[in-house]
Formats: sequence, C-alpha cells, structure tokens
Amino acid sequence: MAKLFVVLLDDSRLKKLEGSGLEKKVSKLFGGALNAFNLEVSDEHAAKILEEFGTARIDSRGAITDVPIAFNRVVFDEIAKKKSLGPEVMDGVLARVAEIKEAAAKESEFLPAPEIEV
Amino acid sequence: MSIRIERPEPHGGRLIDRVVTDPAAGKKLAKGCPALDIKPTVDEKGTPVRNVYREIMSTCYGFFSPVEGSMRQAEVERILKERRLLNEWIFPYPLVFDVSEEDHKKLGITSGDRVLLKLKGKPFAILDVEEIYEIDPEELATKTFGTPEANPEVVKEPFNKKHPGWVIYKSLNRIIYAGKYKIINEPKLRSPFDRFWFPPKKCREEFDRRGWRTVINHQTRNVPHVGHEHLMKNAAYTGDLEPCHGILVNAVIGVKRKGDYPDEAIVEGHEAVNLGGYIKPERHMVSILLWDMRYGNPLESLLHGIVRQNMGCTHHMFGRDHAAVGEYYDMYATQILWGKGVPSFGFDKPVNEVPYGLKIKAQNMAEFWYCPKCGEIAYSGSCGHTKEKQKFSGSFIRGMVAEGVFPPGVIFRPEVYKVAVKWWKHYGYPFVTPKYLVEREKELEVDLADMDI
Repeated sequence: MAKLFVVLLDDSRLKKLEGSGLEKKVSKLFGGALNAFNLEVSDEHAAKILEEFGTARIDSRGAITDVPIAFNRVVFDEIAKKKSLGPEVMDGVLARVAEIKEAAAKESEFLPAPEIEV
Repeated sequence: MSIRIERPEPHGGRLIDRVVTDPAAGKKLAKGCPALDIKPTVDEKGTPVRNVYREIMSTCYGFFSPVEGSMRQAEVERILKERRLLNEWIFPYPLVFDVSEEDHKKLGITSGDRVLLKLKGKPFAILDVEEIYEIDPEELATKTFGTPEANPEVVKEPFNKKHPGWVIYKSLNRIIYAGKYKIINEPKLRSPFDRFWFPPKKCREEFDRRGWRTVINHQTRNVPHVGHEHLMKNAAYTGDLEPCHGILVNAVIGVKRKGDYPDEAIVEGHEAVNLGGYIKPERHMVSILLWDMRYGNPLESLLHGIVRQNMGCTHHMFGRDHAAVGEYYDMYATQILWGKGVPSFGFDKPVNEVPYGLKIKAQNMAEFWYCPKCGEIAYSGSCGHTKEKQKFSGSFIRGMVAEGVFPPGVIFRPEVYKVAVKWWKHYGYPFVTPKYLVEREKELEVDLADMDI
C-alpha cells in the first residue's frame, strides 16, 4: 500500500508555490492551524528511502518520518521545481541522495534554532 | 462502604531514608575506607548507558523503598523468578553495584568491608559490602526482561542489542558488591533540576501543604504536546468523590536516546504547562526521578507504580506501549499486568491485588487525537470520527520542530515550544546528540561539596 509523506507549508513556502496550481491541493491539518501537502509515496520509493536513511521509519499513520531535515527541504524543492505532487517528485529527491546525506552529516550535531524570542 | 481514597503508605510500609545530612557524621562513617570512583556503564561503542549514582540516589532518598542497596545474589534470583524481594514485597528489576575486575583487584575488598564511593572525584556514599558474587551479564539481561517462551503473555520478540534496557544489563561488569548504601555527602541538584527535586518524604509534605489527598501521576520523558496535556487533564477526572486533587508529573531524568528531547527542556516544558495556566499550578506539579530508563514496558510500569506510590500518589495513568521501545512487548502489556496479572512474572492477579503488592491504582488510558469534525482534542474511546482523526505523532512533531516551523497552539502551547527553543539555542540542537550524552554524563545532575576524609 502506498505510503505518505507530509510536507509542511509555512508562509514562505506557500509564496513560492503561487500560481503553480498546487495551492488547491493544500491540506488543512489540526483544524486549519497547519498547512501541508500529503505526498503519496509508492512502495518502491518508500523502500528505497528506508534503505538509504537509517533513521527513517513509517509511523502509525503510514507516513514516512524521522528522515534528515535536508530530506524534507529537498522534497519541497522538487515539488516547487516540478510544480507537481506526482511520482516524479520522489524520483528527483532520490536522485539527490548523495547531496542529502552530505547535508544530513552536517546537521547531525548542529541545527540553527528559530529566531524567536524565548 | 466509603469510596473515599486515602494516600497509600509507602511500598514496604516505610520510606527508606539513607542520607546523612550532617557532614561531620558522614566523614566519620567513611574514615579509613578504601575509595572507588563511580564510573558510567558504557556499551560496546563506549557510549554511556547508565550511571549507578542515579540508583544510589533513588534508593537512599526512598524512591525505591523498601530497597536499601545493591541486591544479594539470592534476591536477584528471586526477582528474576517471581519479581519479589527477599522480604516478599514485589519489585521488577535487579539493582546491583557492579565493579570491574581491575578495580576489584586494586581494592582487595571482601565481605564485611565498607567502600567509599566517590562521584565526580568527591566523597558521595558508602557501601557496606555483605556479599561479593559474579553475574553473567547477558543472561541477566535476558532474564530481566523475559523471553517469548518463558513469558508468552506479554513478550513478543527476543530482546537484543537494539533494546536500551537489555544493553544496560548486558554492559554491566561481572563482579557485584551487594550491600546497603548510605549517602554521606548530600549532593546539590544542579539547575534547573533543583526546583523539581521532591524525594518521597518531601513530596508527601508538599501534597499536605497543597491539601492534596488524591493525586494522579503522569510519567514522562517528553516535552509535552497538547495531546499529553489532555491526557493529564482527562485522566485526572478519576479520583473518588471528586476528581483527583493534584496531577504530579514525574519526569525520568537519566541517560537519554539520540533524538529524545534534552532533560532540561522536558522538565521546563512541563512547568510551562502550569505557568501558562493550561493546567493551573495549584493543581499541577513537576518533579523528577533519577533513573536510566530500562524501557521494560510492564516491568517499568511496576517500578513507576512503586516510585509514585512512595511519593504519595493515589493513581497512576498508563497508556498504550507504556515506557516501551520497539515491539518486544505486547502494546497492552502494562494494561495486562495491572488489569489481570502476568502469571509468568509471578502475578496471577493484578499487581495491586497480590499479597505485598501495590496500593496505587492504575488509570489505563487510550489515545487523544485532534478531530476536525468535533473541532477539539478528542479521546479515542469517545470520538467516532476515526477517518477524520489527526494523531499526535511524536515523530511528526519532532520533524516539525527540527524544520523550525512554529507549531500551532493546537499541537504545542507557545510557552512550551519556547522552552524547547530555549534549550535548542543552549545546546545548538533541539534533541539529544551523542555530544550532549557525553557532556551530560560528565556533569550529571548534581554537584558535591569538598569533603576531606
């Protein structure tokens, strides 16, 4: 059964999608408090993701989670580039595995904290 | 018959107090003893997985009452067979003080000797050695958690090196010193843990001060999302004539796994729930337990019950997959233990119905999710909109945090999220990293004063 990958959309990401037609496919989560795409991932692509990224797993919702942050960023890049939510997005992501792993190695010890007042 | 519930007495009948508060008296007890530096237990890669100092603290301050020290061989064997101490009271885990062969040879200790245990280079506690014996760590690890053959009611898969609790026991040294501990140089808890330090005696006094007769405990090793908050609020509707007077959050502080939130964010995150007024401070209190979690699901729940009963709680909330990792145990193993018992662990009835068992009452809870149709956080046992539900997946929320997306208030209260970001800025990472683990295990949660002996 196909799996799911949730792509969170904040204001800056939504801006990059303006005019792409993808705005209509935005899902509203948690009563509209959160915008996201529910990207369908084929079993073949899901298996490849689990194989390439040791921390990745499929949670109780059938969603692929615990991938490097760089993976999430590249998924959005590919969506914005291809203006699609089709299988070509994951093809594009998996073609960039080496780049994702390189970025993930750097993010395993440091992640910049959000610039918010604490 | 009255339905009024009174605060239970401690497990074993009295609270253990093995802390010498007068430094002069402490010095006198340790004079002339051979000294041994406490070292962390490390796994095969050299990563710290446990520090016995946390067990000494929790024993001497009474959290593990009626346990008073490192267990004798006969006691360990009885626990593995029927989860009972030699004095009959039920207890889930062997707790031992292990020593490397090198240290043992250097010390030349025999039964009847007293050892001074040093922590961070300072005198900390004494151990009166009653017995010295050897263990097979791998066998102890396997027998501690059970096997599918021996414990078919709850164990689904054989334990292995992917299970952090199994790794703790497997990583022990073979030589064990059994005997009672006594803390002779009272440690000072470091900030921010100091304000959450409520050992059982102090905790019971605090309940008295607040006028809490009925208190439900919430076990945690997480920064609380709104699902946790609703679990606490709703589970607390149990009680007797009225809902529980208080909600005690007891956070397990000890070695963490990569990807967990830092301990500091966990305790302050829970505190933010009450400071933000989501559960008012008059009804909600945060405390800590020093313990390197064994992730033993039903067995861990038994330990949690003992600790929280000792702290004075009348009720304990348990969820699905309580204190679990992987799929070694049935996801409802804790509910089975508290609902009907696990005969292969020695309990043919629920653990609060067997002789020398617990008095605290279990409140088994299912799940909370967000339901867009109900327009609220809903209880899975009540909400019929299973297709529309949106679950509070811990991984999903961690992913959102790591991406730097400010979570909506329906997932994380802003005050709680800001605490997570505060510690993210401090450590350069929102979650536990190998560097954090190593640094934390050097600093620990306590400081000790100099003591010349």
